[in-house]
Amino acid sequence: MSSLPRRIIKETQRLMQEPVPGINAIPDENNARYFHVIVTGPNDSPFEGGVFKLELFLPEDYPMSAPKVRFITKIYHPNIDRLGRICLDVLKDKWSPALQIRTILLSIQALLSAPNPDDPLANDVAELWKVNEAEAIKNAREWTQKYAVED
Amino acid sequence: MSADSDMEYSDNDCEYDDYYNSGEDCDVERLDPKKTDPEYFEFVCLTVEEVEKLLNESVEKLNTILEITPSLAKVLLLEHQWDNQVVVDKYRKDANALLITARIKPPNPLLSIPDPLAPSTSKDAVVFGTSSSVSRSSSCSNDDSPRNALISLGICNTYNTVAPGGGIISQRCQMCPVCASSQMGDKFFSLSCGHAFCKDCWSTFFDTQIFQGISTQIGCMAPMCNVRVPEDLVLTLVTRPVMRDKYQQFAFKDYVKSHPQLRFCPGPNCQIIVRSPEVCAKRVICTSCHTSFCFKCGMDYHAPTDCVVIKKWLTKCADDSETANYISANTKDCPKCHICIEKNGGCNHMLCFNCKHDFCWMCLGDWKTHGSEYYECSRYKDNPNIANESVHVQAREALKKYLHYYERWENHSKSLQLEQQTIDRLRDRINEKVMKGRGTWIDWQYLFNAAALLAKCRYTLQYTYPYAYFMESGSRKDLFEYQQAQLEAEIENLSWKIERAETTDLGDLENQMDIAEKRRTTLLKDFFPVDF
Ligand SMILES: [Zn+2]
Ligand SMILES: [Zn+2]
Ligand SMILES: [Zn+2]
Ligand SMILES: [Zn+2]
Ligand SMILES: [Zn+2]
Ligand SMILES: [Zn+2]
Repeated sequence: MSSLPRRIIKETQRLMQEPVPGINAIPDENNARYFHVIVTGPNDSPFEGGVFKLELFLPEDYPMSAPKVRFITKIYHPNIDRLGRICLDVLKDKWSPALQIRTILLSIQALLSAPNPDDPLANDVAELWKVNEAEAIKNAREWTQKYAVED
Repeated sequence: MSADSDMEYSDNDCEYDDYYNSGEDCDVERLDPKKTDPEYFEFVCLTVEEVEKLLNESVEKLNTILEITPSLAKVLLLEHQWDNQVVVDKYRKDANALLITARIKPPNPLLSIPDPLAPSTSKDAVVFGTSSSVSRSSSCSNDDSPRNALISLGICNTYNTVAPGGGIISQRCQMCPVCASSQMGDKFFSLSCGHAFCKDCWSTFFDTQIFQGISTQIGCMAPMCNVRVPEDLVLTLVTRPVMRDKYQQFAFKDYVKSHPQLRFCPGPNCQIIVRSPEVCAKRVICTSCHTSFCFKCGMDYHAPTDCVVIKKWLTKCADDSETANYISANTKDCPKCHICIEKNGGCNHMLCFNCKHDFCWMCLGDWKTHGSEYYECSRYKDNPNIANESVHVQAREALKKYLHYYERWENHSKSLQLEQQTIDRLRDRINEKVMKGRGTWIDWQYLFNAAALLAKCRYTLQYTYPYAYFMESGSRKDLFEYQQAQLEAEIENLSWKIERAETTDLGDLENQMDIAEKRRTTLLKDFFPVDF
């Protein structure tokens, strides 16, 4: 494996020294491009109280291409599908090499606070979110309790 | 074929008119295909070099008039469908506004980057690691102004607004927010938005973009900044010849696609670009690969149907392909003696080899009722009470209607292929005759002309079915279906005669050709194109 670019070293150092509130990202001990991520559900969201595990991988040409991020913990959200894939513009066409792991994780946290059913990835969830938001939020709470709360 | 000579599309009609006006009307009509031929279309086939020359002439013209770089001229022309006059007018009226809409300048140079994650990141405005030797100006780290995002990403230079094409930023040492390395200011480059990155990062970024097929749309690397990177900067910083070539190829594609008068020939591996001053759904036949296509949409030529409708039809056919599959059988039973008959020619006028019954392959009706008066076979009879029927009756009716049109569409397409086979067999037989001294190739040429005309007519007939399917009922549809039926009848007559060519009287065949082609042009004149 080629040596780790300065950019990744810098980002990792800063993530460890000044972690973002509610977000914890730790590089894997065997692979510095693979991060174990934990995002806590934002207050006043249906995900409040939940602890969500994600995985984040920096591809070979990072930062020219976006990090790959996926939820491992099951989550009921219109922009996250059953496989944990996330529909987020900054991970796709709005990616810029000047964005960072930290900004991406903040965007994901923001997505939990403000789901966007008009740009869905999980269609059935998005549909319910649009026609019956109360019911959808109830489901999201239940899933959070069931899958994202440690006993 | 030079690009110059193509600029003028024959204006000599008037000359012809003057010269012949004293003669009979019909002679004048014959000589002016613009008036008599609904499919008449003027176009030229150009090579890549010819088109490059053509585009460069536009670019040079603009850069002389406005005294701007060729690189900027290209962007402006790309954004304005290569209309020089529009660009010149807009530039003279408000150059700044033009440069902003063309994404050469940011909408607001200092506040151009909205915080992508506001407000959650504003408190997070700290630069990359602290151990580096970046000489940060204090104004930068304490700045709470909305320049935010980039500062939070570690950019610490003053926001020089530089002219497109670049400018030197400063001699101070600064950190590149992409590679996180500290370098002297002159190693940096920014567009008019002021977002500075080191040249190595720009060039890696360009490589990545070009690799994905992006060229004229490459933008600034800063988040949410959509200032465009002009060609000269890309070509200055991308050094690998392969990538430069790729960039230029992709950019050329973008230029051609943005030019309303130009179309790539869709033929496989064909390099030809077709040019016409008129953007309409007319037929182009590439002079190099002989692919025939619609100039407007690039699909197979589809008169009388228009581009939108044919697309809808083809999508529907692809979606419903399983429903429609069962009708693709090549055998049917004779409606009189019920013997199984295989269709091996294109003609839909069938003659049962067993009982000699004449019938129609499409509707299995007696051929006698098809011949003259009113040909009902092509028409679909709507159930007049359909609105009052139950949902599933309506659904069944909708399917029945679609299948009626699909079956005919598909059948004529097959007939086209079968007729080609008939011609191939005919060619063999004629070859034999010529070898035996019975006539010459020239004597038999009329048969191939007849076959070519048949194919042309049947092709149009095939494309009348999608047209009819999407047509609203009413008197216009009645007229269309009447003409379609007329055309269909004459085509089947022609096909019948060609299949029996060696025993058909030459005059009779020529007469039939004439009638079929007249029916075809009448229909096209009345119904194509409607979307000029
Ligand atoms: Zn850099
Ligand atoms: Zn920018
Ligand atoms: Zn071609
Ligand atoms: Zn078309
Ligand atoms: Zn029979
Ligand atoms: Zn029939």
